Amino acid sequence: MVKQEHALSGMRVLDLTHYIAGPYCTKMLADYGADVVKVERPGWGDAARSLGPFLNDEPHPEKSGLFLYLNTNKKSITLNLKSATGVSILKELLKQSDILVENFSPRVMPGLGLDYNTLKKINPGLVMASISNFGQTGPYRDYKATDLNIWGLSGILYECGEPNREPLKMGNNVSEYVAGLYAALTTLSALYYRDGGGMGQHIDVPIWECFHTMQPSMTLVYSYAGFIRKRAGVRFPWGILPCKDGFIGFYLPTQVHWESLCALMEMPELREKPEYETPMLREERREEVTAIIVSWLKDKRMEDVFHAAQELRLPLTIVPNPEQLLDTPQHKERKYFVKIDHPETGKLTYPGAPFKLSETPWYAGRAPLLGEHNREIYCGRLGYSKDDLVKLKEEGVI
Amino acid sequence: MTVLPLQGVRIIDACIYWAGPMATSLLGDLGAEVIKIESIQRLDHLRLLGGWPSPDGYEWSAVFNGVNRNKYGITLNLNHPKGKEIFQKLVEIGDIVAENFSPRVMENWGLSYKELKKINPKIIMLSMPGFGTTGPWRNYVTFGPNVEMVSGMPIVSGYKDGPPMMTGYIADPAAGLMGAVAVMTALRHRQKTGKGQHIDLSQIEAFTSFMAGPIMDYTMNKRMQPRRGDRHYSFAPHGAYRCKGDGEWVTITVSSDEEWERFCQAVGNPAWTRWPRFSDALSRYDNHDELDKLIEEWTLQRDKREVMRIMQQANVATAPVLNYGEVLSDPHIEARGFFETITRPVTGTHPYPGFPVKLSGTPVKIRKPAPTLGQDNEYILKKYLGMKKKEIAKLAEEEIIGTKPQGWAFGMEA
Repeated sequence: MVKQEHALSGMRVLDLTHYIAGPYCTKMLADYGADVVKVERPGWGDAARSLGPFLNDEPHPEKSGLFLYLNTNKKSITLNLKSATGVSILKELLKQSDILVENFSPRVMPGLGLDYNTLKKINPGLVMASISNFGQTGPYRDYKATDLNIWGLSGILYECGEPNREPLKMGNNVSEYVAGLYAALTTLSALYYRDGGGMGQHIDVPIWECFHTMQPSMTLVYSYAGFIRKRAGVRFPWGILPCKDGFIGFYLPTQVHWESLCALMEMPELREKPEYETPMLREERREEVTAIIVSWLKDKRMEDVFHAAQELRLPLTIVPNPEQLLDTPQHKERKYFVKIDHPETGKLTYPGAPFKLSETPWYAGRAPLLGEHNREIYCGRLGYSKDDLVKLKEEGVI
Repeated sequence: MTVLPLQGVRIIDACIYWAGPMATSLLGDLGAEVIKIESIQRLDHLRLLGGWPSPDGYEWSAVFNGVNRNKYGITLNLNHPKGKEIFQKLVEIGDIVAENFSPRVMENWGLSYKELKKINPKIIMLSMPGFGTTGPWRNYVTFGPNVEMVSGMPIVSGYKDGPPMMTGYIADPAAGLMGAVAVMTALRHRQKTGKGQHIDLSQIEAFTSFMAGPIMDYTMNKRMQPRRGDRHYSFAPHGAYRCKGDGEWVTITVSSDEEWERFCQAVGNPAWTRWPRFSDALSRYDNHDELDKLIEEWTLQRDKREVMRIMQQANVATAPVLNYGEVLSDPHIEARGFFETITRPVTGTHPYPGFPVKLSGTPVKIRKPAPTLGQDNEYILKKYLGMKKKEIAKLAEEEIIGTKPQGWAFGMEA
């Protein structure tokens, strides 16, 4: 598969993850060269295969855009962990692995006889990462949660949205991506430690606590000053305001910003107005200030405003929709978006490398079909014969 | 002494603001020795965020103190040849150099990767400007909110009848987290091969990688996803509901028909739960507004934590909307020991969020609070450059190092 040397070449990962957080972690490892074997349930596979968006809106296990993105460069095998044979095959695979990543609810792995204490006897050097909403311990351990619930618990939801409406989260399951990255970070660190003469270990990645660190300061503001920020919407000196062909966004809290903004809008007279003289006065009259900016933006093109502002070193930027995002010269020149071919979908455009390594490039491979690598892994790595595979299939193990 | 996974890794950290310092703070948490470099001529501007009303306000920035723990702090004027020379000596003994300036800044100092590699061929350099180190927009100014905006995330976030929304900060720590992953990826490669390299991380590209759903929907189907508020694109009900008390809310999400059945039982099977217009996910989605009103009638009579208890007993994903004070005292968070009480010079004793991940063999703790300005000048210069007290005093005289900011005025804004 991976011919060129990549940063994580030679690292073997056994991937029991599904949905977003876990697969995003193992995607990070796979895209930089790790050998990731994804273990899926026979039949439907990873639940993300049944989640949209689907190509041409046709629900199909090989056509979920979310799944295709989150599982690039992995190998897929099917294995029924509810059967004793399935569990023993998994243990064989485990002997050949450096890392195991799973994101079942905390009761599942022990229930299958696959708790860390059992697994470390099979492979003492194993680094096992368990991602869950609430962690492997604590009173809420077995509670259920989704991204919205995690936002609610984090403290972040409380301060987002309009004061007179419901608190508001961002789209796209951000908390799951964050937890996936924490899992990748700690797994790589634990492996670095192991290969530097240390031991294997178990890593407990709680999505709630991980997501809370996306705002590390407000609990401190509370304990320093007893202050809790209330929902205030996105209002001046913040703004995401419509222009002719899209939206312009900014955060312009200082006097220098204000002066540059007046210069950008070619309204020097605004600077002279006593009612807008200080940041506090402008915030008191934020509706007037916003109305001025809105009417100025009305017939301006997004990119024109952006470039003119940047000439003045004013941090005012485009807020692109996906079409505009794909079309930005910056992304084009850096080749951020990549085309990846796939037998069921053909070539599609995906977000590419989240960082570029000068010597060991990121790798744009595709997601696997369900069970695509059964033969390669079971016969090639574990020494099963083709007849064995037929038998395992009949028994519902693979 | 406890063993930590990154013990023995040394990071020369020129990062400022939020994203870069977050990356190095995570690596510091994991055991790396991080030497943070500011200057008295130019503080890490994150120190000025928050506008604490006192003459030493630059030591009171909650966000600075939150993302700079487990680091040594020194000051060094890199515009002075002697300052630059000290930096180069630190690079010699470092494993990683991290920075998040505009790309031209390190180049202008003559401290680009090309130059640093000559000093230390095994060095790993993390550069993480907003737009990355190449491309036509590479020198454009961006702050955390801009990164969030340019990623396109706000376009698919917000009330369904309202403008795009943003948090204003989330892209900063998210990009920082990506930076830490990037360093570990390169460090792993160096462990195997002995080779260093340069990491070019665009904060915008890093955060855009969380946007896969809407981007793939566009590239596959040419569809622009709408803003949906707190709702899910296929499950219902899914939202925040008012509870008993002033400004109290709970989030309830139902992700399958089985979960809906359990939800109905948990609310006591009132007649509306059997209405045909709520019988499956699609019809519930189509009648979401009406359903929300009925659910809220039920939640309004109950405390948000009581709602969580009732729903979680029925295995329905539900959680209260907590403010930061409530997060701090939540029984689950307390039981897991997430917050650690730390004493810091100037600011005193407070609970700080700890490292969120638990590593069974190498547990991670806050070992040092965020440094006060130039706190470790003497320690680092003695230890790594073998400097004598007299030499160090001379550097202070020449204002190459120091512990008091220049040009700092009380009440100065970020």
